[in-house]
Amino acid sequence: MKRARSLALAAAIAAFCTSALAQETVKVGVVQGLSGPPAITDFGESYLQGLKLALKDHLAKSPKTKIELVVYDDEANPQRAVSVVQRLVQNDRVPVVVGTVSSGNVLAFAPILQRAGIPLVAGPSIATPITTQFIDQKPSYIFRCSMVEKFQIEAILDWGVKTFKKIGLVHSTTGYGSVTAKEVEAGLKARGRELVATEAAAPGVNDLTPQMIKMRDAGAELVLNFHESFELVYRPMARLDYRPVIAGNWGLSSLKVEQIVGREAIEGTVMGQALDLADPKAKAFDDRMRKEYGSDYRWPVLAALGYDTGQVVFAAVEKVGKSDPKAIRDALEAIDGIAAISATPAKPFSPTDHECLDKEHVFLGVWKGGQVVRLKY
Amino acid sequence: MSFTNALQLLISGIAVGAIYTLTAKGLFIAHLATHRLNFGQGDFLMVGAYLSLGLLLAGVPAPLVLLAVLAAMAILGWGLERVAIRPLDRAGDQTGGYAWVLTTAGCALILQNVVELVWGKSAQYAPPIFSATRNNVVRIGEVGIFVEELAIILVAFLAVTAFYVFLFRTRWGKAIYAVAFNPEAAALLGVNVKGTVILVFVLASMLAGISGFLVGPLVSVQPHMGLVFTIKAFAVASIGGFSNPLGLLAGGLLFGIAEAYSNYFDSAFGDLYPLIAVLILLAFRPTGLFGTRAADVR
Repeated sequence: MKRARSLALAAAIAAFCTSALAQETVKVGVVQGLSGPPAITDFGESYLQGLKLALKDHLAKSPKTKIELVVYDDEANPQRAVSVVQRLVQNDRVPVVVGTVSSGNVLAFAPILQRAGIPLVAGPSIATPITTQFIDQKPSYIFRCSMVEKFQIEAILDWGVKTFKKIGLVHSTTGYGSVTAKEVEAGLKARGRELVATEAAAPGVNDLTPQMIKMRDAGAELVLNFHESFELVYRPMARLDYRPVIAGNWGLSSLKVEQIVGREAIEGTVMGQALDLADPKAKAFDDRMRKEYGSDYRWPVLAALGYDTGQVVFAAVEKVGKSDPKAIRDALEAIDGIAAISATPAKPFSPTDHECLDKEHVFLGVWKGGQVVRLKY
Repeated sequence: MSFTNALQLLISGIAVGAIYTLTAKGLFIAHLATHRLNFGQGDFLMVGAYLSLGLLLAGVPAPLVLLAVLAAMAILGWGLERVAIRPLDRAGDQTGGYAWVLTTAGCALILQNVVELVWGKSAQYAPPIFSATRNNVVRIGEVGIFVEELAIILVAFLAVTAFYVFLFRTRWGKAIYAVAFNPEAAALLGVNVKGTVILVFVLASMLAGISGFLVGPLVSVQPHMGLVFTIKAFAVASIGGFSNPLGLLAGGLLFGIAEAYSNYFDSAFGDLYPLIAVLILLAFRPTGLFGTRAADVR
């Protein structure tokens, strides 16, 4: 009798444990640049806003699996990024990681996650090699939901050579700026053209008058702006009485840049985009974000990609139902039926493609009347 | 290079140089009286810029904003002396003589973080002070200059004149020199040493406030902008010599102009050449262009 009672007790405990297991909370690791250079935090905060809204929507659907975000700030510092990723892997034991802004940081910790067999959905970093350098490994654990620098530059150059005769380039002297300058030069060469002027500027400068004088004297009608302080090229224009068209990094679509340089000055500026606010779905999302975050919300395309990343990752976790990195990786690769806000397709990934956005999803946006709309050309 | 371009570069160089001069002036006066420097001088400028930005955006008229910023910065300067300078003097030699480097730099870090908490981490522009739009350009021939730049050049010249008069023609100026020469002797002669030291830190801080107020619309205002200004002010003060207000003006303008031209000729390393030039200059003339060895009287 006693034995039977203890057996019943054991069975009850086992049953309790299994039900607890079914209710397991899966932790999703998030690394973002939330402090440090202003341009970086603008990216990191906006992406995280979208990700958090996606989690809210996901939990509202009362899913089987609970999800919790473990968020760390990498301060735009590669050493810190690596150490927080190690903490996510060893202490928090997360089965999937999302992040971060600086491509250099992602390139520093992606190999760690690949070796540990923990899937990474990179974003909003844009350097081209982030996914390509792992795609041949079977299997690759590195995915991305963000703009891709190569596609953005290609789109700008396609339009640039068609529309303008003389193109100039202002880039920063950082790793990002120099690599991009090379990509732009190579891209133009492939199209049989050359830059009429190339100027660089250190990251901390306050005045680009000398550089813009060079652009004006070279007669550049289009100035490609790949400096992290996006607003700098606009300042000297009034004093030099020189108004070229500016095009560049998708960072130019932040409302923050518009506030800084003024609506009049930014009108007509072109950049890589993956969200069309003329699309009713995107507009509805934009209104919701505005309601949710108020004046803290300033960047539709970043928030939308953060949101879509959330949708993809949470759907994969829900499908697997437990903290199993390998199974979540497979689920990510196979995921289908995503109703994305950005240009991300319903089935973003395949074994040979780990990018949410492909060349055909990246288009050009232009500032028009205080809003970034699709550029028609 | 065309003549117009040369003139345009000269004028934008002078405007930038004027900002450096004002920042260096703050370093100079504190160094003169106490042989201490505020390693956060650039960050004080940043605080001044943020205070003006906040008040201007709240719709306060510009003259009132300037007064409020000056008052706030005076208090901040007083606070710095009380928190970061005086306790070390009381501790005497135990602190090793250079502990003020750490305390003033520490105060600067605290200011950066407080500003970041209040205004966020993103860059901002202060609204223009003298007009409704940002394109308020005065044309001299074919050369364009922003009204704010004209103002900052004017203020730099005025500040230099005022300093000159203040230091060499007033009792206060004599008191500063007396304290610099020998604090104990000055005290015996009835000079209020404590008051003089507080005064120089308040003045230095107010100078940073004026610069912050004026540069707000000209540069991107962000919590970490101060360091660049501090470093360049150091360079300017070393060119001019730490002991001469006119030398600072010359040093500031030279540095600003050199920067504008070197960025024109080689933008990739434009900021590097003026700094290298300063290093070479210091190798041959360690006291700067206008300083004299005798000025360091202690």
